[in-house]
Amino acid sequence: MLGYYLKLAFISLKKTPFLSFLMIITIAIGIGAAMTTYTVSYLLAKDPIPSKSEKLFNVRLNSFGPDKPFNIAKGKEVPPTILTYQDAMNLQNAQQGVRQTPLGSFKMMTRGITQPVTEAKMTAIRSAYRDMFSMFDVPFKFGGAWDEVADKEGLQVAVISQELNDKLFLGENSVGKSLLIGESSYQIVGVTDDWYPIPKFFDYRVRAYNKPRDIIIPFNTQINNELWTSSDVSFLCWKEPSDDSFSAILASECVWVSYWVELASEADRSRYLDFLHRYSMEQREYGRFLREPLHQLFNVKEDLVDRKVQKEDGNIALWLAFAFLGVCLLNCMAMMVAKFHTKTGEVGLRRAVGASKQDIVAQFSIETCIVGLLGGGLGLLLAQFGLVVTAQLYSHLYAEMLEMTFGIVVMTIVLAITSAMAFGLLPILHAAKVQPSSQLKSL
Amino acid sequence: MLSMRHLSKAYHTDTIKTQALQPFDLTIEQGEFVAIIGPSGSGKTTFLNITGLLEDFCEGSYELDGVNVEHLSDKAKSKLRNEKVGFIFQSFNLIPELTLYDNVDMPLRYRKLSSKERHERIMDALGKVGLASRRDHYPAQLSGGQQQRVAIARAIAGKPSFLLADEPTGNLDSKMAEGIMALLEDINAQGTSIVMVTHDPNQAARAQRVIEIRDGILSEGKRIEKAIA
Ligand SMILES: Nc1ncnc2c1ncn2[C@@H]1O[C@H](COP(=O)(O)OP(=O)(O)OP(=O)(O)O)[C@@H](O)[C@H]1O
Ligand SMILES: [Mg+2]
Repeated sequence: MLGYYLKLAFISLKKTPFLSFLMIITIAIGIGAAMTTYTVSYLLAKDPIPSKSEKLFNVRLNSFGPDKPFNIAKGKEVPPTILTYQDAMNLQNAQQGVRQTPLGSFKMMTRGITQPVTEAKMTAIRSAYRDMFSMFDVPFKFGGAWDEVADKEGLQVAVISQELNDKLFLGENSVGKSLLIGESSYQIVGVTDDWYPIPKFFDYRVRAYNKPRDIIIPFNTQINNELWTSSDVSFLCWKEPSDDSFSAILASECVWVSYWVELASEADRSRYLDFLHRYSMEQREYGRFLREPLHQLFNVKEDLVDRKVQKEDGNIALWLAFAFLGVCLLNCMAMMVAKFHTKTGEVGLRRAVGASKQDIVAQFSIETCIVGLLGGGLGLLLAQFGLVVTAQLYSHLYAEMLEMTFGIVVMTIVLAITSAMAFGLLPILHAAKVQPSSQLKSL
Repeated sequence: MLSMRHLSKAYHTDTIKTQALQPFDLTIEQGEFVAIIGPSGSGKTTFLNITGLLEDFCEGSYELDGVNVEHLSDKAKSKLRNEKVGFIFQSFNLIPELTLYDNVDMPLRYRKLSSKERHERIMDALGKVGLASRRDHYPAQLSGGQQQRVAIARAIAGKPSFLLADEPTGNLDSKMAEGIMALLEDINAQGTSIVMVTHDPNQAARAQRVIEIRDGILSEGKRIEKAIA
């Protein structure tokens, strides 16, 4: 019977090609707009690391001076979201979390060992402790994180991204080979596999939707080699460094290092907060931390909301997009009423030869599902196009990120069919209800 | 076999009540060829629609092949209609975008038949009306008489006990009409009952039995003598 109804549906759609096209395109536009918006907001609101988001914490300490607070929000003093170098190192040495790492960053001209200087590229580089790779679930294609010695000694080792590996080594296993950062040679210990945390929760807000950096080196290597790019870090001071030297930067009360800790569980949070409290009190004895002790731990979600990378509430664009879909569907419904109205003669005849109302409803439902399916398919194409346009408009969203997941693709089709059915039901029931005898005078 | 007791039908529109059929008793036996005559608006089509379960009646009882149809669900009525009744209309009522084959297929689709059996029945029915060779044509490619033949093929494909024909030759010229009449008589001769509304006294005369409806009142008509023709 399904085969028969499918055949009838295609004959019927072919009979009124323009009307069918309008119905399909109306659904497609609504679905396209809704799913573009949904995909963008889904990706923006995504949990970047679901398995860990309750266990990873951004650490904040109120290291600012006694004269004025770092910031006031909603009438309350808030500490900076980044730490001084000395605090970061103190926390790192205390090892109070399951894993922990400071995060630094800089930029440097980078090239392959055999590449001429002219081919060197300015590259954004991340520095961290090896714990970062396991904390952030970084997948490796080749090799892995560097060892503890590299962390301690600040050895010239690097983990590079798959893209950079493709560029410099044509995608071959480059572990053991080297690349040049500045004029120094760094030995590659690992190549990451696809790793696109969305949003990139551990980076500054403006970079939250950029790709992770192509090169990661030990934090201490950055320090030892005095690698510093002032334009690449937030460097916030309440007291200027004593001079321009790198050692003065490290010794200063200026904040620039973001610090992450992994705890065994959400419950472990208060223990770590106690530790931060003791630490703050201890620092007072050295004449630091003279403000209110405002140490805080934010898990991934809280941190993203706090830094306004993500919004807590649903977004209005999404509501508008689905309202627009509703309007499109109402339009489509009007066309379905018209479409089925032309078929009252056929309904009467089919009833006369023995079709029940259910048979008629089934026949028209299949036709409506096909309209929904075609509308959904076309809507999917429109949504892909919408995402490409969105990626062009918002350069802080990288294009690869704006891809529909398989789940969203399936959801798009299902949504198209179910909404076509939901809005088609009334016209269908109406059509099936016609008094057959009244329709048999002429066809 | 079809039996109606004290059956009546009234239409209620907003303010007016039209008594389309006054209470009547009627029995039609298997194999009968019954002609229904009467002036326009007298209730002939209404009678046919009730007989074919396309419309509900108001009072009385109706048994179709031994089944009391009064409390049947839409589904059960549709099934009964599909199996027992074949309709033939004045305006043919073929679906223009379906081939002759698919038009004849239509009643069979609402039954659980194998595709082989459907095919045999369709070709058999089209063969009986002499149009098997044109199975893949569309209705618009046929003359009126041929279209009505297809409609008859559709009506008999399901092997119903009754054919209900509402002025089947009303839209045809006399030569084509004669062909259709001959075909119906042929079908009747094989045992299918036929109830046919007609305005043509000659056609009525060829039926075994004539029922006249006047202002909703059914009466058994005198058998019209063939001599008139
Ligand atoms: N759906 C309806 N609603 C109200 N009145 C109706 C309806 N159908 C038929 N009637 C009325 O019932 C009466 C009988 O109509 P019917 O169609 O049965 O006449 P008929 O004998 O077939 O006429 P004709 O020879 O012109 O086809 C008429 O007065 C008609 O107006
Ligand atoms: Mg009539």
